[in-house]
Amino acid sequence: MVIVNLAAAPITKDQVADLYLGRTDAWTPIDQDVASGIYVEFYKKVTGRDSAQIKAIWSRILFTNRGVPPKQLPDSAAVKKAVAANLKAVGYIEKSAVDASIKVALQVD
Amino acid sequence: MVLKVTPAIAAWVLALGTVMGRADAAIDTIDQYVTFSGFGTLGVVHSDYSQADFIAHVVQPRGAGFTSWSATLDSDLGGQANFTLTDSLSGVVQVLSRDDPNGHFTPSVEWANLQYEITSDLKVRLGRMVLPTYEHSDTQNVGYTLPWVRIPIEIAYTDAGLHSDGLDVLYRVKTGSVTQNLQVQWGRTAVDLPGIEFTSTPSAVAVFSDTLQYGDASLRLVYQKYDGARIPTARLQVIGAGLTYDPGAWFVTGDSNYSRNKFFGNLLAWYVSGGVRLGHFAPYAIYSTTRALSDGTSGLKSLGNDHTMAAGVRWDFAKNLDAKLQLQQVTIDSLDDSASFADIGPSARIGDKANVLSLTLDFVF
Repeated sequence: MVIVNLAAAPITKDQVADLYLGRTDAWTPIDQDVASGIYVEFYKKVTGRDSAQIKAIWSRILFTNRGVPPKQLPDSAAVKKAVAANLKAVGYIEKSAVDASIKVALQVD
Repeated sequence: MVLKVTPAIAAWVLALGTVMGRADAAIDTIDQYVTFSGFGTLGVVHSDYSQADFIAHVVQPRGAGFTSWSATLDSDLGGQANFTLTDSLSGVVQVLSRDDPNGHFTPSVEWANLQYEITSDLKVRLGRMVLPTYEHSDTQNVGYTLPWVRIPIEIAYTDAGLHSDGLDVLYRVKTGSVTQNLQVQWGRTAVDLPGIEFTSTPSAVAVFSDTLQYGDASLRLVYQKYDGARIPTARLQVIGAGLTYDPGAWFVTGDSNYSRNKFFGNLLAWYVSGGVRLGHFAPYAIYSTTRALSDGTSGLKSLGNDHTMAAGVRWDFAKNLDAKLQLQQVTIDSLDDSASFADIGPSARIGDKANVLSLTLDFVF
């Protein structure tokens, strides 16, 4: 799995975790479908949390009027399209889905 | 077993049915300008102590005790609409129905403000905001966001307002690996407690709060000052500090609040809690207490004093739903409005213990 953006801006695993846990507004995180395998794997590897914990964290942010959860897109193709259209966007996709439209910012093993 | 079934409870059951029937993601997007979301809790509480009513929130006038079971303490239902007006201007309205100081479930507006984003780190809000008084004070009604059935009631025994109508400025500043979330707020608030004598006229409130985040650790600091209320309840200062470490697989958290109040006396409340996450289950334990440090001009002695030991488990059994079970023992340390109780009877004695069982079902949609 790889973290992708448009500018190939270097990003660390901790920064990705902060972004997807709502601790920073530095980039715009793009999410995958909560029911997808890559969603579960991403949050497990990058944040050490499961989908219920992520839902609780974002519910806290949402219901305290401090932000809205990342937009969930149906698949990696949609994530690539969103990342390619926004210089501030960050997404995660399977390594095999990488193409010329986006750049790899970090590899997650 | 006496359970009061109110129209509000019927509404929760309907809402719950809606949640369970939905296969789709959390937020329902009608179009790109408005998103709707909601939350709720359905809960029952049993107390074996008949000399006083165990309550879940300081404003509640009745609870579980004399009529051993209560379905009104933890149950609530809320809905929120987020409006995106332009790239930098947004709005929010949140309406909540829960047991209030009058013993009704009259819906109230918790949040209603317009936010202008000057930069991604600097935001100004105008309207109604929930006050940041203690950790989780701003999501205490959203059971799904809490590791426990409810926040320890002792920490909320401050007489602070619940929300203010005014202006606030949010500023996020990053220094090395530490992110600070600074908040300054000015507004007017009213403190409403059970009993006609404790319905205050609005007072001015000023708030300064800072949450420092360092990876999975966060430190919360808050100062609130209330002025100008016509009843003594709201003339107070609150200083709070809390620390949380939550790397995902387990958590520890502690919070404290010191309130200075000439009329009711000065109080110190605190709790510590920890838990582990084992798959879909997250068992936890809490110790919480509040102590009067002085007697105020009201003449009430040791106001609020009690302490609680609690243990429970959260079970994330389905998407956007959790169930919790909590057992706690509360010891009355004062007969003058012990924090966890309402309606303390003449046979109650200091040192009496209440064993309380709580079951809740939380949902978000």
